[in-house]
Amino acid sequence: MAEYTVFFPREKKQISVEEGTNLLEAQIQAGLHPNAPCGGQGKCGKCLVRVLRPGQEAQVVKACCEKVTGDVTVETLEKEELHVLTEGVAQLGGLSPELRRLHLQLPSRRDHWELSEWERLCLALEEAGVPAEDGTVAEETVDGVAEPGSGARKPDLRVARLLARAGGNRDGELTVVMSGSRVLDLWEGAGGDRRLLAAAFDIGTTSIAGYLLDVESGEQLATDSAMNPQVSFGADVIQRADYALAGGLEELSRCVRREIDAMLGRLCEKGGARREDVYQVSLVGNSCMHHLFLGLLPESLVHAPYQPVFREAIRIPADSVGIHAGEGAEMLWLPLIAGFVGADTVGGLLATRLGEEEPLTLLIDIGTNGELVLGNRDRRIACSTAAGPALEGAKISCGMRGADGAIEHVQVENGQLRCQVIGGGRAVGICGSGLIDAIASLLEVGALDESGRLEGNGQQDGQPVYYLTQPDAEGPGVSLSQRDIREVQLAKGAIAAGIHLLAERLEVRLEDVERVYLAGAFGTYLNPESACRIGLIPGELRGRLQAVGNAAGEGAKQVVRQREAMERAQKLAAETEFLELASLPQFQDAFVDELEFPEGL
Amino acid sequence: MPVLETIQEAVANGRPKDVERQIRQALEQGLPAEQILEEALIPAMREAGEHYRNNECDIPRILSAARSMRKGLQILEPFLEKSGETNRGTIVLGTVEGDLHDVGKNLVAIMFRSAGFKVIDLGVDVSEKQFLKAVRENPEVKLVCISSLLTTSMPEMRQVVRSLRNAKDLPPLKIMVGGGSVNQQFAEEIGADAYTETAVDAAEWAKSFVL
Repeated sequence: MAEYTVFFPREKKQISVEEGTNLLEAQIQAGLHPNAPCGGQGKCGKCLVRVLRPGQEAQVVKACCEKVTGDVTVETLEKEELHVLTEGVAQLGGLSPELRRLHLQLPSRRDHWELSEWERLCLALEEAGVPAEDGTVAEETVDGVAEPGSGARKPDLRVARLLARAGGNRDGELTVVMSGSRVLDLWEGAGGDRRLLAAAFDIGTTSIAGYLLDVESGEQLATDSAMNPQVSFGADVIQRADYALAGGLEELSRCVRREIDAMLGRLCEKGGARREDVYQVSLVGNSCMHHLFLGLLPESLVHAPYQPVFREAIRIPADSVGIHAGEGAEMLWLPLIAGFVGADTVGGLLATRLGEEEPLTLLIDIGTNGELVLGNRDRRIACSTAAGPALEGAKISCGMRGADGAIEHVQVENGQLRCQVIGGGRAVGICGSGLIDAIASLLEVGALDESGRLEGNGQQDGQPVYYLTQPDAEGPGVSLSQRDIREVQLAKGAIAAGIHLLAERLEVRLEDVERVYLAGAFGTYLNPESACRIGLIPGELRGRLQAVGNAAGEGAKQVVRQREAMERAQKLAAETEFLELASLPQFQDAFVDELEFPEGL
Repeated sequence: MPVLETIQEAVANGRPKDVERQIRQALEQGLPAEQILEEALIPAMREAGEHYRNNECDIPRILSAARSMRKGLQILEPFLEKSGETNRGTIVLGTVEGDLHDVGKNLVAIMFRSAGFKVIDLGVDVSEKQFLKAVRENPEVKLVCISSLLTTSMPEMRQVVRSLRNAKDLPPLKIMVGGGSVNQQFAEEIGADAYTETAVDAAEWAKSFVL
């Protein structure tokens, strides 16, 4: 088959592809990360590019629908500067990391001529009070040989190699990097400029947030964020799962692992740190992100009864998943609760202490999926609702992510709508928080009725639309269509119904909920008044809403900051009940009840 | 206002409590259940369906009307005689295995009932075997409707269509597919007879095929 050259002038990249490859695939092959919420089905119209063919006028087309039929130059459109929430306001608590360094004096060769180098290390560890590794039993010792005692451990070839280099029969000082009772790294001498660092990542369906911490000082050295490169394969977890099940698992795994590794590099650069000092990497993410990262086929996740392959926390060598970090570095994944309530929710529970305090609390994490947990230390129930990507701007005609040019807030002033735009420039679209505000404002000025019927102030393709900003010579205005309103109704109906059904199952009244924590970017930028006005959050909860930032990411950080945190996470995950809304007969009624907008105050 | 009209209005406006109360009242007044169904519930649903098609009302509205209809049907059912008069035909309906989502499917069921069909609703997570069994046990079935919301359940849908087609012992059946994950192209590809985008169209198609 013929091959043609595709040139991307903005990225200064050129690749050759087979004839008939579409431009979305070409971008992926070139290592770009195009945004394709619908997964390249030609439905969403968000993968637009400008195509220049010799002798023809430039054309803006959907990349996924345009095939390569000759050499072509492709200009990707303005890259959105992504604003990913990396801040959290969690209660961090004290610093008691699993990672620590021990300065050991190896027992002298003169007194212990009969010991192997490994036995000398074990004895030194024992003298330093380090318990034997879990699961390793002291071997029977040969007569006449000094008793290595309870510190005995099975030789670990990787550590033994390090020891062979550092020990060498000398009676010197040794620095050992430990994670709990596991030896990760060791070197000769004090290693004055070495640090003990850990990284934490929250892998969202759309974006990834990363943090670099010095676990000895507790200082956060750097934060970083990136697009989840899997966005090129669809906006939501179902589309990703589809792609994985159709043979794309390895590709999805590889691209996200590679991005985490690249982010680790950037974090170190920003924080003036070295990769080889990073000894732990903790990860949170929803169950699908978890499975894809670990290379687990998500078949059981997306077929009823929607269960994960496994839900326990795991600890594996970082290099086994392509993360280049310190010698012996560990990678930790927090546990999952269920197929659609993942490690990110567990991270949120850890960070907010929802499962460990008395007050009845509701945690709402609205991302591409909406996860809800209601309860307190005695009992907790979690559920997942199909919030869908609507609240993140996908599926909305003028929807976009929270980037420059997005309307992020709308308010009514003297009967007129006033929009606030990220970056202060011209509005080019609307993001989730702006959308909720806009709908609340349209209800207030009477352009929307309770049933969600839109009274437009303009028309597009014969359908009424409401222009938030008017079209002019510079471009089309930002508007909402009837269909957009319906999408939001369906999303908010699902979330509000989820809240009611959790309360019902827990046998509590919403009035008795003392705190509502809003996690995630959407929860942080969301105007609580607007959320209650449109009924996304039931009015009974008004006044108790509190944004907690990226709680999932904070949970990932806690695991590297506090050695008890992983055990807490495991307990929280195991003891949080899961409510499958789709199988509840009451769901449909509750959902329908919540589709309408509440009547005005 | 005559009681039938008030019931019709309450259904169309999605007020299930009023519907329940007024139907009980009508029954106490001695109105036959069939008449309440034929002259209040069904016209209300038809009206809602028409509005929906004309873009005058939307999914939330029609869902709430459908719920009122369902509540009404629940009250009427014990009083309805199992007569074949209003029965245009029997339809088997279910959400495919692996999928638990049924909001759309339930709406379709209501629209079929409103159009005078007898509906055997198999519920959610319905296996290929269950579909086959239902058709075998109800030889009068003319139409099988398969729904799925998650795109990941599409292979199962294909499989159900294939085995319904391949089963030698079944009378000729029409198969309709629908739901968030399906489109016309997919329906044709897997050999279904019809796909409709909305529940109202589904009922219209079923009528045109049965008549």
